[in-house]
Amino acid sequence: MTKLFACRCEQIAAIVRKDFIVGLRRKASFAAMMMFALTAVASLSLSTGGAPIDPKILAAILWVVIFFAASAGISSTFDDEAQAGTLPTLKLYADAQAILFGKMFGVFASLTALTIFIVPIFLVLFDVAVEGGLLLSTTILLGVIGLSAAGTLTAALTTSATVKGGLFPILLFPVTLPIFLPAIKLTEFAFTGAASDSSLLVVMILFDAILVTATSILYDYL
Amino acid sequence: MTEKIFFDDVSLSFGQRAIFKNVTLELRGGQIIGVTGANGSGKSTFLKLAGKIIRPDSGAVELPAEKKIAAVSPEMKIYDGLTAEENLKFFARLRGKILTAEKIFELGNRVGLNMKNFGSTRAENFSTGMLQRLKFAILLSVDADIWLLDEPTANLDDDGRKKIFAEIQAAKSDKIILLATNDNAEVEICDEIICLPL
Repeated sequence: MTKLFACRCEQIAAIVRKDFIVGLRRKASFAAMMMFALTAVASLSLSTGGAPIDPKILAAILWVVIFFAASAGISSTFDDEAQAGTLPTLKLYADAQAILFGKMFGVFASLTALTIFIVPIFLVLFDVAVEGGLLLSTTILLGVIGLSAAGTLTAALTTSATVKGGLFPILLFPVTLPIFLPAIKLTEFAFTGAASDSSLLVVMILFDAILVTATSILYDYL
Repeated sequence: MTEKIFFDDVSLSFGQRAIFKNVTLELRGGQIIGVTGANGSGKSTFLKLAGKIIRPDSGAVELPAEKKIAAVSPEMKIYDGLTAEENLKFFARLRGKILTAEKIFELGNRVGLNMKNFGSTRAENFSTGMLQRLKFAILLSVDADIWLLDEPTANLDDDGRKKIFAEIQAAKSDKIILLATNDNAEVEICDEIICLPL
C-alpha cells in the first residue's frame, strides 16, 4: 500500500514536471488564459470609467473572469495529449489516478498563477480597497481547488467530444456553481470588510472535498 | 518465465464489423509470438486487447498478476516538446526508475541512437527512424514483463533493424513478446505465428 502510494506520488511529480516543461516551451494555453483575463478586466474597467461599482457586482465580475479565463486554459489539459497522440502512451506507462492527479496539480498551479497575476490588476483597475485580505486569499484558494478538480474531470470528459470549445464551459458551469456562489459572497465580504459567515467557508471546503473525491472515482470509468 | 496471457472467449466489434468472435487462446512467455494478417485484420487491436489497453465487448483477457507492459507502436507517440533524454527519463520515472547519464548513453547505444549527439535534441526534430529508435530505448528502459511490438522496425535502416532484432531475441526468455507485423524479416524472428483472418 505504502509502495503503491509512493509510486503514484513519483508518477504525479513526473507528470507535473513534464507538463510544466512542455507548457513553458509551448506557452499557448497559459498565454490564452492570461490574455483573456487581462483583456476582460481591462475592458470592463475602461468601460465603467472609474464609476463606483457595488462590491457584489465587483465580486461577481472577478469570479466570472476567473471562470472563463480558466476555461480557456484548462479545457486543453487532456486534449493536447490526445491530439499529439501521447495520451495512449501516458495511459500505458502511468497509473490512471496518477495521471488524473498529475493533471489536477498542473491545473491548480496554472490557476494559482492566473489569480496571482489577475487579482492585483483587478484590484488596481477597479480601485478596490480590500478590507479582508486573508478572507480573500482563502476564498480564492478554495475556489481554485474546486475549479481545478471540476476542470480536470470536465477536460477528461470532453477529450473525445467533437465540439470541445463550447461543451467545456457548459459542462463546467453547473459543477462549479456551488463553489462560485459562496465564493462570490465571501469575496464581497472581503471587499467590504463586513463580518463573514464562516459557514460559507465550510461549504466551500466540503464541496472541494466532494469534487476531488468524485473526480477521482469517476475518472476510473472514463 | 512460463506465465501467459489468456484470452477467454473474447469478442470485439467495431460498428457492425466483428473483429474477433469468441476467441479463446493462450499466449505463453519465453518466445516471440508474431501476429500477422492482412491490413484491417486486427493485428494492432489484438495487441491492445492483450495489453488491456482496450476492453473486449465480451469475454475477458487475463494477464499475469502485477506484470508491467511496455509498447512500441505507431499509435503511441512520445513528447515532441521534450528532448530525447527528457523523454527517456520521464517514462522511466513513471515506472519508478531514475536513469543516470551512463544508463541513458547505454540505452542509446543499444538502439543505435547516439545520446551524446542527440540527447538534448527535441523529439520534434527527429526523423521517423530516430523516433522509432527512441521509442525502443524507452521500452528497454522500463524493464517491462510484457512487450507489445507493433511493426517495431518500421522506418529503420539495416543497422537499426539488426540492433532491435538482437534486443528482442535477447529479451524473449523472461518476457511475453507479441509482435504485430507483415514484414518478412520481423516474421522470421518469431517462434510462433498467429495469422488473423480478414
